[in-house]
Amino acid sequence: MRPLLPGELPFASRRLQVCVGAGGVGKTTLAAAIALRAAVAGRKALVCTIDPARRLADSLGLPELGHDRRRVPVERFAAAGLEPRGELWAMMLDLKRSWDELIARHAPSVEQRDRIYANRFYRQLSSALAGSQEYIAVEKLYELSQTTDYDLIVLDTPPTAHALDFLDAPNRVVDFLDNDAARWLLTPALAAGKIGLGLFGRGGGRLFRGISELTGAETLRELADFMLSLSGMYEGFKERAGKVKKLLASPEAGFVLVTTPKPLTVGEALQFHGALEKSGLAVGAVIANRVHADIRAAGGDELARAGRSDGLPEDLVRRIDRALSDARALRHGDEEQLARLRRAGIEPFALMRRDRDVHDLGALWSLTEPLAAKGDAA
Amino acid sequence: MPEPIEALDRLLDRRVLVLTGKGGVGKSSVTAALAALAARRGKRVLACEVNANDRLPALLGAPPAGPSLAELRPNLWSVDVRPHEAMLEYAQMKLHLPAIVRAVFENRLMRYFLRAIPSLAEVVILGKILFHAREREGERPRFDLVLVDAPATGHALALLRVPEVVGAAVPPGALADDMRWMRALLEDPAQTAINLVSLPEEMPVNETFQLERALRDVGLPLGVCFLNGVWPHRFAPGELDQLPPRPPWTEVRAAVSHLEARADLALSEAGRLRRGTDLPVIELPYLFDAPFGPPAIERLSLLLEGKLGVAA
Ligand SMILES: Nc1ncnc2c1ncn2[C@@H]1O[C@H](COP(=O)(O)OP(=O)(O)OP(=O)(O)O)[C@@H](O)[C@H]1O
Ligand SMILES: Nc1ncnc2c1ncn2[C@@H]1O[C@H](COP(=O)(O)OP(=O)(O)OP(=O)(O)O)[C@@H](O)[C@H]1O
Ligand SMILES: [Mg+2]
Ligand SMILES: [Mg+2]
Repeated sequence: MRPLLPGELPFASRRLQVCVGAGGVGKTTLAAAIALRAAVAGRKALVCTIDPARRLADSLGLPELGHDRRRVPVERFAAAGLEPRGELWAMMLDLKRSWDELIARHAPSVEQRDRIYANRFYRQLSSALAGSQEYIAVEKLYELSQTTDYDLIVLDTPPTAHALDFLDAPNRVVDFLDNDAARWLLTPALAAGKIGLGLFGRGGGRLFRGISELTGAETLRELADFMLSLSGMYEGFKERAGKVKKLLASPEAGFVLVTTPKPLTVGEALQFHGALEKSGLAVGAVIANRVHADIRAAGGDELARAGRSDGLPEDLVRRIDRALSDARALRHGDEEQLARLRRAGIEPFALMRRDRDVHDLGALWSLTEPLAAKGDAA
Repeated sequence: MPEPIEALDRLLDRRVLVLTGKGGVGKSSVTAALAALAARRGKRVLACEVNANDRLPALLGAPPAGPSLAELRPNLWSVDVRPHEAMLEYAQMKLHLPAIVRAVFENRLMRYFLRAIPSLAEVVILGKILFHAREREGERPRFDLVLVDAPATGHALALLRVPEVVGAAVPPGALADDMRWMRALLEDPAQTAINLVSLPEEMPVNETFQLERALRDVGLPLGVCFLNGVWPHRFAPGELDQLPPRPPWTEVRAAVSHLEARADLALSEAGRLRRGTDLPVIELPYLFDAPFGPPAIERLSLLLEGKLGVAA
């Protein structure tokens, strides 16, 4: 933890911030806003985005392809009326390429690396294995935290409704790459003893034949080949995954849990929050994004009276009344969800719903203005 | 381009209707509304969701269905198709060794192994859904209409392409045969329609275009596009200008302008969608019900029926 600078977001006091939450809630937007505010306040900040909207990527000066880090030019700040005291850097995380890099780092030879790259199982790894995208994102954070000198790194993550996909990701990946599985696959007899079900032997062999009949023997051979080609890398992976896990639990890292004030997403956020806390991970903030504005204007009889005394068409006033009551219903629904978070002991930070998408630096800035810290130093 | 209303009417004559689109656009809501509508019109309907925690029964005001078929109301069944259970079912059906299959499936390593086989989860999920679409009860089909509340864009595409992709990769045999009939059913426009759900917002509309193109490229038959959550315009341009610049009207105007701005955005995105798609677009309004539950679904369903009524 460190003192906050004026204008920074008050929950972003740890060096590594991880924005998590369900699909479309505003993770990428918020990740960019956190880094932007830190940069303006004087930090050297990096936001690592995943699949940003094209116009957000444009605002950050990121090209269509490639996942290099780039500094956001000062002119873009000026265009938004901002003057950065620090630096804002941005990148797009390419999940596939990050896996490739991870493999390259651990593979003992170029041949082995290429053999893995060419394998169909490897190419499907990211879709077939729950948590593998989450894992590779956090792995990237680890790498960046070790090899760069940013004051703040904000990691955006793929949509994750369930915290388990996130928290369990290193275990799943390590388990998956576990060579026990390969050995088992290649020598079913050995596995029979190991698994100890006593059911293998003839039955297991038949099942195995059955599966290969379904999937084709080629598929099994490829899987075996994939497992084999990973041999010798497992220890390295495991050690690395252990470090990644430790980093997330360290005082350096904090989670920002983003949600919208809707029954479904709040339900997911509550579960997510519970799981993070249970694992001893720090939740810096829960953000309720896209909260509808409060409606203070009068309605009903009072509005009708004002309409009559100002000589407004009755029909217009009636339609206004309807519109206001719908707007109130929206606000009311949001408030209920905010209250639900509070009942669970969470004080959410609310961000207002904008009439338009939030894509440029100016909009990111003004959206988060109400949350900005006065600064510990001041 | 066919008239949307006519298109909707013919839509319900298909055997399989798939709904997909970006996360959170209203796939489950529209599926539930269509299911209620078709069941009301006397069709025997099975509404399938894919590993989604019984969202459909909740929207239809019924208790959870779980991984086996449950009757939610007369003519309307629902099931949550989960990969693990579907795989077990499939293996038992194909391998005829129930006890061993179960024991092995509950083994940790085996589970990882099964999960790693590309497309196996999709094979068994789609297999179960399409199995029910072909199921017969005596002389007639068990279900007249199978609705699929499919996963969001990318996953749905992977799911729907499975018969083609896996069919090309496996040797002749039981699986290859299954892939063949599944593909024939899915690619037959007389029996199947893939429908897109969208919202009048930038990212969902963009994703609809991408998805439509991708589905067309792989030769899957498209149905209609449901544009869900369309905001109403309640005021004529400039109409609010007659509000006097003093309380309470200043506040009133600010509040109402937010709604109108969103309606403006909806209108321009709806226009962009209509210009960019070849599909008939069926609009569904944003409903201000809070919470959004069974009564809202019934209203959506009646609105859809109203559109059908005009055509009849
Ligand atoms: N407070 C807000 N008001 C209006 N629009 C918003 C707000 N916050 C985010 N948006 C817009 O909503 C869209 C989705 O936001 P964003 O991409 O940040 O979500 P995400 O959680 O990263 O989504 P995904 O899970 O798909 O990665 C974007 O177009 C963004 O501009
Ligand atoms: N016509 C509508 N008017 C107002 N709100 C709606 C409408 N349709 C859907 N919603 C809201 O959007 C939320 C998401 O809808 P739904 O669950 O049907 O989407 P989905 O596409 O199935 O989402 P997911 O991708 O998570 O499965 C609903 O809980 C509801 O609050
Ligand atoms: Mg994002
Ligand atoms: Mg759904």
